[in-house]
Amino acid sequence: MSKEEVRLFIGPQHPGVTGNMSVEVLLRGDTITWARTHIGYLHRGFEKLMERKIFIKSFPLVCRICVPEPDTNEENFARGLEELAGIEIPERAKWIRTLVLELSRLQMFIMWYGGIAGSMGLSTPVQWGIGDRDYILDLFEELTGGRIYHIYIMPGGVRKDLPEGFEERVLKVMDMVERRLPEYDEIIMENAVVQKRLKGLAKIPKEWVDEMGLTGPVARACGFPYDVRKDHPYEAYPHLDFDVITEDGCDAWSMLLVRRREIDLSIDLIRQIIEKMPRGEFLAPLPNVLYWKIPPGETYVKSESTRGEYGFYVVTDGSDKPRRVHVNGPSFVHGITLLERLLVGQNIADVAPIMVSLQTCPPEMER
Amino acid sequence: MEVLNRLREKFEITGDKVQRDDLALVETTGKDLIPVLVYLKTYEGFKTLVMISCVDWMEKGKFQLSYNLWNPEKKKNIIVKIFLDRENPVFQTIYKIWPQAEVYEREIHEMFGVNFEGNPTQDEELILEDWEEIPPMRRDFNTLRYSMEKFGEREPKSGIIIRKQISEQYDEWRRK
Amino acid sequence: MGKDKKYFLDEKPEKLTYGGVFRRINDWARARSLWVVAYGTGCGSIELRPTFTSRFDAERLGMRMVATPRQADVLIISGYLTVKTLKRVIRVYEQMQSPKYVVALGACPINGGMYYDSYNAINRLDLYLPVDVWITGCMPRPEAILAGFKRLQELIDSGRADGWKKYIDNLDRYRENQKKIIKNWKMPNYNW
Repeated sequence: MSKEEVRLFIGPQHPGVTGNMSVEVLLRGDTITWARTHIGYLHRGFEKLMERKIFIKSFPLVCRICVPEPDTNEENFARGLEELAGIEIPERAKWIRTLVLELSRLQMFIMWYGGIAGSMGLSTPVQWGIGDRDYILDLFEELTGGRIYHIYIMPGGVRKDLPEGFEERVLKVMDMVERRLPEYDEIIMENAVVQKRLKGLAKIPKEWVDEMGLTGPVARACGFPYDVRKDHPYEAYPHLDFDVITEDGCDAWSMLLVRRREIDLSIDLIRQIIEKMPRGEFLAPLPNVLYWKIPPGETYVKSESTRGEYGFYVVTDGSDKPRRVHVNGPSFVHGITLLERLLVGQNIADVAPIMVSLQTCPPEMER
Repeated sequence: MEVLNRLREKFEITGDKVQRDDLALVETTGKDLIPVLVYLKTYEGFKTLVMISCVDWMEKGKFQLSYNLWNPEKKKNIIVKIFLDRENPVFQTIYKIWPQAEVYEREIHEMFGVNFEGNPTQDEELILEDWEEIPPMRRDFNTLRYSMEKFGEREPKSGIIIRKQISEQYDEWRRK
Repeated sequence: MGKDKKYFLDEKPEKLTYGGVFRRINDWARARSLWVVAYGTGCGSIELRPTFTSRFDAERLGMRMVATPRQADVLIISGYLTVKTLKRVIRVYEQMQSPKYVVALGACPINGGMYYDSYNAINRLDLYLPVDVWITGCMPRPEAILAGFKRLQELIDSGRADGWKKYIDNLDRYRENQKKIIKNWKMPNYNW
């Protein structure tokens, strides 16, 4: 640190950071010359706690790993246990899970769409985004009983079947969201400030994508069609008809475009799911879950969350508790390795838009 | 997967298993791990490091390190694992092959106490602050006892007494 | 920032004394403009967003988020607190100007909630900070948060929300408890 440089601490108590984390930067004038991410403010030791709980008791814990999008965790963990225990789940359960996953992706994207505008000082879309997300949370509440934490997906399928008339209500909300989107576009996409600030911001070199293991919208904004739903189809995704969205700008604007198109894709997928969903059982018969022992083995299951590839590495040793569960969220790489390199050379005012563009989610970095 | 045959020819592979169509598990020795990783990255297209994980096998006296790689073209995952001695867990860093390995190794160093030689930042605190006990993810660290000792009882004594009274009353009511 | 700069209180600050009709007017006014410091310490902050935006709209009750603790009246402990965050929270709390109020959200600050056995999450918040209102649930719904704030307003209005006075009076005891789990009182150089 030379005399011309100033050390600045962004977070943890700062409205601009995405959650409870902090970034330490060195500034020369307005330009960042060095950055370091500090995490650990939300570390609860999930992986340790799960080692001392039987499998079914881990489910209330596992959904709390990523707060805004809990269903990915449940689905991943359930799928990992099913694979190790050799349980086949009914066809309808797969479709219901896919519906829940897509709904949770959609609500996260809508909140994010408002959030990226909020990070640049546009507060109207924030209000809209969080307000419209609540319609989807109401659907979740009807389906699972909880607004944020659902604990709905469990090994063998899902906890309950869809309530009567739920499909129509989902479609109604989808119509509502679709009707609202042009207003969002008008206020965000066509805004000169947003365009000027995001175009060319945080340009990611293309070779970083494979080298660092970037996934999700960040990789897709660089032109790499990496989507776990297509590459390693899980649940009901093989039966759905969709294309992977890519953009070629490698910057924050392309990430915005990718996520904007993902909203359309999610709405389309939800309609497809409701149209094609089969009837039947929703829960496979399980052994007594209180004495459920899973044979030794290890596996890595992954799914596509809004931020990228979300993976669970599960190791069992034949007892009734997992030997090791390692949760690998996409933010771990995006928020530490990528962010530290990406911030260098940027303007101090652009830290918040870059962090929101990468969608760093601290609770999944440190678990 | 065919890559397993080629690996078996070239390196000392002590065990392998095809878990799924797109996931293979390979076990090798510490000496061969870095050649295997470099071979997989350069010749087999496993360009991406997904994660590094550590498992504590306390009964066997071993730490297991798992390196999870992904092939973006063929869409396959492979997990290469090695076993380290639990008493003196030292291994080489691989952050020169993949930059994100640095943070994964830093986390494993903090949580399990595995030393990665050559990692420039592993001694910096990542998640914990002023930690004085043995690394918390080791199996012999008792988190419940630590929590009770450090953070005290979950509720005040009066609360425990009241709860006890309530449950006694409830038992009585059930007996009736 | 010198090395021996004091980051935390080390002696009792002067207590604000006022009484009679001024106290009544002050309390009435304070209850109607609660500014909340925007610090999401845990997962509860996800439900604070709906509370403070268009659907539940806490601003109509005079509450809004502010960025700096020096302008804020209320500190929301949203969910579990890890040891690392507790140190920052204490610092944020001591920076706030009296009168100040603490609202604890969720089951975790009450008795540890589902992290009762975690090595990094505290069990009982009231050992370390004075809490005025507890809101239970995991997560508390926005309606519950609003009800909790309503309760806080009643307490302030009737002059019973005096957690900050307790903190000043019992600073030694609180500090003793805090020192049990925070060994190093120096802020690391990456945040202070």
